[in-house]
Amino acid sequence: MRTVFSYLKRYRAAAILALALMLTELLVELFQPYIMAKMIDEGIQTRDTEVVFLWGGILLLCSAAAFAVGILSSFYAAHVSQSFGFDLREKLYGKIQSFSFANFNSFPESSLITRLTNDIVQLQNTVFMGLRIMLRAPLFIVGSVIMAFVVNWQLALWFAGSIPFLALFLYLVMKRGEKLFRSVQQKLDRVNAIMQQNLIGMRLIRVFVRMKHERGRFDKSSGELMDRTVAALRLTEMTTPVILLVMNAGIIAVLWFGKVQLEAGSASVGEIVAIVNYATRTLGVFSLISMIVVNFSKAKASSERIEEVLVTDASLKDGEAAPARSSIAGEISFDHVTFRYPDTEEPILSDISFRALPGETLAIMGATGSGKSTLLQLIPRFYDTAEGSVSIDGQDHEGLKMESLRRAIGYVPQDIVLFSGTVADNIRVGKEEATMEEIIEAAKLAQIHETIMRFPNQYDTVIGQMGVNLSGGQKQRLTIARALVRKPAILLLDDCTSALDVRTEAALLDALKAMNCTTLLVTQKVSSTANSDRILLLDDGRLLASGSHTELKQQSPLYRKICQSQSGKAGAAHA
Amino acid sequence: MLEPLKEPFRYEPPKALAQGAGDAGKKKQAKAKDASGTLKRIWRYVAYHRTKLAAVFAMIVFSTVLSLLGPYLAGTAIDRFIEERNTGFVPFLLGMAVVYGLHAWTMWLQNIWMIGVAQETVRGMRRDLFAHLHKLPIPFFARRQHGELMSRVTNDIENVSSSLNSSFIQLVSSVLLLVGIVGVMLSLSPLLTLLTFLVIPLMVFGMKWITSRTSRLFREQQRNIGDLNGFVEETLSGQRIIKAFSREEVVTRAFHERNKRIHESGFWAQAISGFIPKLMNGLNNFSFALIVGVGALLVIGGHGVTVGTIMIFAEFSRQFTRPLNDLANQWNTLLSAMAGAERVFQIMDEPVEAADESEAAVLERMEGRVEFRGVSFAYQEGHPILRHISFEAEPGETVAFVGPTGAGKSTIIGLLCRFYEPSAGSIRIDGLPASGIRRDSLRAHMAFVLQDPFLFEGTIRDNIRYGKLDAADEEVEEAAKLANAHSFIMRLPGGYGAKLKPDGGGISQGQKQLIAIARAILADPAILVLDEATSSIDTVTEIKIQEALQRLMKGRTSFVIAHRLNTIQTADRIIVLQDGKVTESGAHDELLVRDGFYSKLVNGQVVLT
Repeated sequence: MRTVFSYLKRYRAAAILALALMLTELLVELFQPYIMAKMIDEGIQTRDTEVVFLWGGILLLCSAAAFAVGILSSFYAAHVSQSFGFDLREKLYGKIQSFSFANFNSFPESSLITRLTNDIVQLQNTVFMGLRIMLRAPLFIVGSVIMAFVVNWQLALWFAGSIPFLALFLYLVMKRGEKLFRSVQQKLDRVNAIMQQNLIGMRLIRVFVRMKHERGRFDKSSGELMDRTVAALRLTEMTTPVILLVMNAGIIAVLWFGKVQLEAGSASVGEIVAIVNYATRTLGVFSLISMIVVNFSKAKASSERIEEVLVTDASLKDGEAAPARSSIAGEISFDHVTFRYPDTEEPILSDISFRALPGETLAIMGATGSGKSTLLQLIPRFYDTAEGSVSIDGQDHEGLKMESLRRAIGYVPQDIVLFSGTVADNIRVGKEEATMEEIIEAAKLAQIHETIMRFPNQYDTVIGQMGVNLSGGQKQRLTIARALVRKPAILLLDDCTSALDVRTEAALLDALKAMNCTTLLVTQKVSSTANSDRILLLDDGRLLASGSHTELKQQSPLYRKICQSQSGKAGAAHA
Repeated sequence: MLEPLKEPFRYEPPKALAQGAGDAGKKKQAKAKDASGTLKRIWRYVAYHRTKLAAVFAMIVFSTVLSLLGPYLAGTAIDRFIEERNTGFVPFLLGMAVVYGLHAWTMWLQNIWMIGVAQETVRGMRRDLFAHLHKLPIPFFARRQHGELMSRVTNDIENVSSSLNSSFIQLVSSVLLLVGIVGVMLSLSPLLTLLTFLVIPLMVFGMKWITSRTSRLFREQQRNIGDLNGFVEETLSGQRIIKAFSREEVVTRAFHERNKRIHESGFWAQAISGFIPKLMNGLNNFSFALIVGVGALLVIGGHGVTVGTIMIFAEFSRQFTRPLNDLANQWNTLLSAMAGAERVFQIMDEPVEAADESEAAVLERMEGRVEFRGVSFAYQEGHPILRHISFEAEPGETVAFVGPTGAGKSTIIGLLCRFYEPSAGSIRIDGLPASGIRRDSLRAHMAFVLQDPFLFEGTIRDNIRYGKLDAADEEVEEAAKLANAHSFIMRLPGGYGAKLKPDGGGISQGQKQLIAIARAILADPAILVLDEATSSIDTVTEIKIQEALQRLMKGRTSFVIAHRLNTIQTADRIIVLQDGKVTESGAHDELLVRDGFYSKLVNGQVVLT
């Protein structure tokens, strides 16, 4: 928690001020019963209206002051908590942007989003409440006890004595409750999971006539959820009656001993009334304590999750050399490269060696999971190799500055990512300072210019998040244009022509050839490999064979099998 | 005073982890439209537990009366035994102890009984909703987003559950308490009561002032947060691109701008909403000062007011603003729960699939002869999806449907398994009209292999066994072997016992298809429906799938929504669908010479994505 809350330091002054204001307000309230006692003993008992007016006036003034102070504290507390949240968000987002892909593997995307949004809001609210209520409640209890002792210490003992027991009781219930509610959450997730599966698999369930089976499953889970919820709530609902019982017993004791002392002359009526009043006020505040603890434990979980991100080291070390884009020729060589994802045993790639000369096109084929995409991702240094090295123009690319390395690479991933914005904006992602001419040129190369010109606003057409209103093939070509606009020395295409028809694909491959960049092309289609200088055939992370189409046809039985399965269809394996 | 909560352990409903429960909660502030209707329907569920509820109600009445009696007795004790020194103090204190004890006891009883009622009620709603989902016609699910449906069946029901738990008791007891306090106060001193009432207009005015500002500010803050969420989501899922194209600085700048906007609106929203407890506090303090001051003057002046009365009023005046505040809060929770319940009931009101005809036949065996005669179909009048479709398939034949997206291929399949009924024409199976066969019996002879094969969370074995629930382990393995799935399953850690994650995660798309094929083999249907994957599956797996499919299709009438030319070529009949009409039909060789859509397709001049 320390790391996260150290971001409060900058707002120390405002925080202290907010706390001081809150304490002032608290003091006023704590003195109310005390003043009441004075009024009864010195005013009523002696029939002195002036004393009543005096103390009454003080009471009114105090409450006005408390109100003003409370309003002011709200501003300071809001300032502290909102600025704290702002700083934390900036810091966290900056950290995430510095992450390497290995880091991303250990934090799923959805969890990072939750951390950035819900968790920070949770902390922000805790800080706000902390400055206003959380500290207030325990202080109120302590203050009430102290004031009660000031008023009459012997009577105060009866009321103060019950507090440690109640605190212990609350603590125990809370501990147990936390465990019970966790199991409620698990059961609830289970029920929701079954519900979700049924919604998604509805057709299948109907066709296989499994409705009764599913209802049985659901009913069982739903019943378990109910039992757990009832158990958890029964425990926690016990607390209010118990607190009531104990505190009220204290009040009876105060009345009894108050009378005894009154007769012995060591207590006054006003004092008894004041202490009973302190006791009933404490009773009200007690109910807040558990809410505070619950909130605090949530904040603790949130801060731990945020910290986990903040303390993660960006795992890639940047290199020194920063060659200009124009001086990179684009030769790629893999030298006995082995790669495994962090925290895994099995290598994804083992002992891969090959070389691509500037301007060459290499096709990469292999089954799912054979490591094709991973191989591509090693080139822009999304990950570092476990053994062996990747070199660009003969220099180990770990020695290159990441930015200048990546500036020379055009990468088109398999899963299409478009950003919300216009068509031109999306192409411009590839090169921020690209002119309209350059954008159009890239679009032409990617065979999408004509399609774009048919859009309602041409290059200014807005596409939705993840590009909903474009077809699969259009999206693929747009992502290719994005990579081409930067005129890369190295082009990495990860199976990104699957939704293109044969003619478009052929035109695209021709255009790419003319660009004269080193191209690595992952594909499933024998037809796409026609233009390539060489084919790398991967199997289970190993380089099974490499060579031209004709060479592989002779040497590799697997390649022959692939060719056979796609043959005789005029090159259209996927209609 | 702070706003004391009645329930120290406010039950915070655990939010569903799925489907961004975070903002769903905020959106649900919508009010119920037909409040009395919804209330009646909730009542129907609650009414099962009528006796228990009546007991809860009785307990609330008792505990409220007892809670009023407590401070009253304490005040009386001061007046009669401490100031005036009457005798009988001990029995009086014992009486007080009994009242306090009974109060705690009735409160405990009302709580635990209510938990039972609320949870049973919600369980009943869940059960009915779930059963209803199984009766809804399939087009219903096509029209709805899963996320939205999920939020109804999870968050909305949770909402009902938690507010039944807490709001009901609080609402009833707040009203009773309010009435009781006012009654007791009036009987003790009408003048002091009037003073206490002074805070009401101040409170109403103050709350109005605050909420009219905060509702606007919160909306703005919500919008800004939503904006930031969207931005974060997009940039994180596009992280690969941002890194590859070195866009880190650009997005960080854009983030900063959005973050600043949240900071701005968040500050005002939080600061002003923070006035609410301060206002309540201030008013409490104010009325406390008034009551004690004026009360003291009345005691001195001898207007029938005693010190005990002051003490009772000092306590009651605080208790008086609390139920007022509670009422407002609980009323809002209750309204949002009603809106939630209404959304649940909306689903339950959706018309179910038409019942089977009373004389519908149960087929023991099916040969698999299928005939479509002049079948048309429209979801909406005037927007036909299919027009006059006619074709037939003899037992064991393979029919391939080819055509662009939206041509009506899936609709034909849907009609075949009677997810919907044709608006004109007829479908005959083994010579019988399909509408005369019971749905479950019809479907029991069919099996599906869909393009995104749905796998349940559970073991591989369970997933295959879904095709035949009583299949022995050997049968499951036999089916997997025929489906070319056995070898990859054996390589998984745990083999057939390997657990799949929700939505079948952990294995590849192609492997999912193999499992779906194994499932279909185990089901041993007369009619097979196959929707081929459009996404590219790696070649080696593809070969395995093709082999397995050939084994599966052998001897069964098969309908294939085809994306792969090699599947289409081997079909007995190819039906080309365009715009809901059959434009070409025949075998591969026949169609190839016709120079229509099909031959263009084969020559790569059109694509089907």
